[in-house]
Amino acid sequence: MNAITPLTYAILLALADAPRHGYGIIKELESRAGIGSAPSTGALYLALQRMEADGLIAESNERPESDDRRRRYWAMTPAGREVAEAESHRLAALVATAREKDLLAGGSA
Amino acid sequence: MSGRWVRWILRMAPRSFKERYGDELRATYEARAESAARRNQAWAFGLRETLGAAWLVGWLWLGADRPKGHGVGAGEARVLAATAQDARYAMRALRRNPGFALAAICVLALGIAATSAIFSVVNAYFLRPLPFAEPERLVTVVETNPEFGWVDETAAPANLLDWRDQVGAFADVSGYTEFTDEVTAFQDGEPFIVTGTEVLGNFFSALGVPAALGRTFRMEETWLGQDDVVVLGHDLWVSHFGADPEIVGRTIEFANHSPEIVGVMPPGFSFPDGDVQLWYPIGFDPEDVVEPSFRRAHYVRAFARLASGVTHAEADAQLQVVARRLQEQYPATNAVMGAGIIPMRDFLTRDVRSPLGILLGAVMFLLMLACTNVVNLMLVRAGERTREVTLRRVLGASRPRIVRQMLMESAVLAIGGGALGLGLGWVAVRALALSTPLGIDGATSLALDWRVLLVTFAAAGLCGLVFGAAPALQVGVEGPDRPLSDGARSTGGRVGLRTAGALVSVQVALALLLVVGAGLMIRTFLLLGQVDPGFRTDGVLAVQFAVQAPRYATRDDVLGFYDRFAEALEARPRIERVGTVGRLPLDGPSWSSQFKADEWPPDRVGVEILHRRADRGYFEALEIPLLAGRMFEPGDRLGPQPLSSPPSRAVVLVNETFAREYFSGEDPVGKRIAYDAEPGPRSIWYEIVGIVGDQRQESLAMPARPEVFENRDQDWGRNNWVVVRGEGRAGDLAGAVRGVLAEMDPMIPIARIRPLDTVRTESMGGEQFVLALLGAFGLVALVLAAVGIYGVTSRAARRRTREIGIRMALGARGRDVVRMMLLRGLAVVGLGLAVGVVAALFATRALASLLYGVEPTDPVTLVSVVALLGGVAIAACYIPARRATAVDPLTSLRSE
Repeated sequence: MNAITPLTYAILLALADAPRHGYGIIKELESRAGIGSAPSTGALYLALQRMEADGLIAESNERPESDDRRRRYWAMTPAGREVAEAESHRLAALVATAREKDLLAGGSA
Repeated sequence: MSGRWVRWILRMAPRSFKERYGDELRATYEARAESAARRNQAWAFGLRETLGAAWLVGWLWLGADRPKGHGVGAGEARVLAATAQDARYAMRALRRNPGFALAAICVLALGIAATSAIFSVVNAYFLRPLPFAEPERLVTVVETNPEFGWVDETAAPANLLDWRDQVGAFADVSGYTEFTDEVTAFQDGEPFIVTGTEVLGNFFSALGVPAALGRTFRMEETWLGQDDVVVLGHDLWVSHFGADPEIVGRTIEFANHSPEIVGVMPPGFSFPDGDVQLWYPIGFDPEDVVEPSFRRAHYVRAFARLASGVTHAEADAQLQVVARRLQEQYPATNAVMGAGIIPMRDFLTRDVRSPLGILLGAVMFLLMLACTNVVNLMLVRAGERTREVTLRRVLGASRPRIVRQMLMESAVLAIGGGALGLGLGWVAVRALALSTPLGIDGATSLALDWRVLLVTFAAAGLCGLVFGAAPALQVGVEGPDRPLSDGARSTGGRVGLRTAGALVSVQVALALLLVVGAGLMIRTFLLLGQVDPGFRTDGVLAVQFAVQAPRYATRDDVLGFYDRFAEALEARPRIERVGTVGRLPLDGPSWSSQFKADEWPPDRVGVEILHRRADRGYFEALEIPLLAGRMFEPGDRLGPQPLSSPPSRAVVLVNETFAREYFSGEDPVGKRIAYDAEPGPRSIWYEIVGIVGDQRQESLAMPARPEVFENRDQDWGRNNWVVVRGEGRAGDLAGAVRGVLAEMDPMIPIARIRPLDTVRTESMGGEQFVLALLGAFGLVALVLAAVGIYGVTSRAARRRTREIGIRMALGARGRDVVRMMLLRGLAVVGLGLAVGVVAALFATRALASLLYGVEPTDPVTLVSVVALLGGVAIAACYIPARRATAVDPLTSLRSE
């Protein structure tokens, strides 16, 4: 499996706890990384379209009663979860290396 | 705002994507836009989203070709891939035959460049809105007078002001003078010249153009006493006032007064003339309002802004009512004076409509010619590729696919030709903008804008379709069963040849039309060059400057200066004679008047006579003969008097035409005339003391009109042309002229300095412009036609190589074969020439208004052009025919 893009990973993370619609994903990304950090709407849907085609996400049938009917809710598929876990492990290993090499000592991130 | 763009871009996304994600994408976008607006970031967000949307759509389409290609409909992907393949194949095919591609692209580029250049001129004059507020509401208000032959005359101030008060359909009426002035101004004691024009106080507000800095004029500033204000043009403000933002309220220094600068116009505003950079109020004298002259002298170009919602017809009807009322109220001046309105754009472009129409027609012919040429090239190529096409069909390519691919090749050529043509056109537009004498009037400027781009690409697209479709449809009419070994096909079918022949006929006809047009213009130009204007132009330099108050307060100060200037110059070596005149002949409009001779019956009046002031030196420097009576003499000058007060014994010279028209059979010398239809006690009577030779005043093509010369010692003015005749070239005199003037008074700047030869040439500017373009078109047409004829003949020759070989082997002489080939080629050419001549007899009528001395159907031109084209055609046929016979019979027999 090829490495996934940061945006794909970020979307998978946003969907890890609950299915969300497009705007929900944006809000989740912005709540974690700050306003303006989210991709443009075009870039988001390009990523969603690829991820759906790759089977990482699927449309979810669960939706609140009183929602905008145009909205689609996206949920992570088991395959998506697998990919997200694999990527997380890969990143965790990298972070562990970074810590070993003293790159995380005085960080303010 | 950005939402519209985003929606528009997204509409171009593949359908499958839109169906699946479109609604949700929009919902997300709207929610985000709202949130961005709340944070006051709508702009940045919009920009980013627009780019994002474009990126998305771009990727969705491009991604189609990738093997994984998710999301895009399979059908769309196939079409896209096939199109891309066609495009690549077309490029490859064209690269294999670069000569053909280059020829086709160049031919197309020529046609398209000419089209876009001419269209950019048409666009500037006729399509782009005038740079004023709601320009469609602006009309020029003209005075008409059947007795004087006036159809679009300038207005008398009193009439203009009455229209303004009485015509309810006009929201406002304003005006300006069409004569621009070369004004001397001073900056830090240094004089400089700026082109200025007089306007009414409401000039800018009626046009609807506000000042960029400060304000424009107010209506009350129209009047003397309140008129000591100016508005600067942007360029003047930058060049002489350092773009000073604090300029408003300061003064500009003239020789005798220093008006206040009240405003600066925005960049690009320069009306009514391209070089006007200074506007000042016309300064009507309130005391003049009751004078008849306020209603008699016509010198204000009036225009009106129609009230909102008023049609031209309604406005005209109201104007007619007012004009009739004025006729009854002021019979002395307005008895037959009418008025009318003309949409402002139509009025401003009235002189260029006919030449531009002609050029537009010519350029269309040229484009057609270029297209037929490329069609022919394509046909040749299609013929050469029959084998390839047959092979591809045998291998399973469908006919639509092959046709599509042929079209793709045309598209590539059209795009290439269009792009190159646009580049060339841009260069041509630059050149036109520099040289156009068609009177760019400040309201128009040449530019390649979206309209020009649109027309250029429409032309290119149309060309592509035309020349793409013909050969494409011809391809594959035959089934794939055609034997691949049929060698004859390798040079095109008989049908193809016949089509090509017909196209050559069309080309010859079109070329003939264009060359005849160019030929007629060349003859016009040559004939105009031979016209004797009635005065000497070679070796004469003309220089214009003004001698201003307060340093030259009196008449004698001013005249004394001009006299000393002339004496100083004449004392120089190689300068023969110097004189002064108010206006140069062949240099734009002049003043005209009506007049009455002493002892004429009450109903007799002379109209539309021109008049200028001059001195004896003017006639002698320009070698204008005195035919009867005497010249102006020093004794004509009277003692010092204020400007414009009448001399006690005023004398004038008249030209030959004046004497013939108004005093035929009698001697005008000694007669007295006054510039009034009904002379009163205050009229000035001028005695005719002599008759001088005619000078053409308005253009070389128009015979001299009746003209009266006042004595500049009596009817004097501060602004004059000095004409200097010397040995050798006129330009060489400029140094002496400048030197003497600087020596006498360094504070007097030269407004203009031009050899009379240049004045003469520039008076033919319109004809020269049309001639240059038609000449260029004619030349290109000639080359294109020659290429077309050559192409078809050489094709025919190659096709018949075998036949020629057999004939030669059987003993035919080369000469016979050449003659046979020539006859066939020339039949096609002859047909084209015949059609062209008939078409030319009709089409050249459009040129009639521009011709001088030749009829549109001038047989000399027609015969010469037919001979020229025929000669070119024979050469174009002969070369390939000759080459065909030069081939060794054995080789030609083996060529199959």
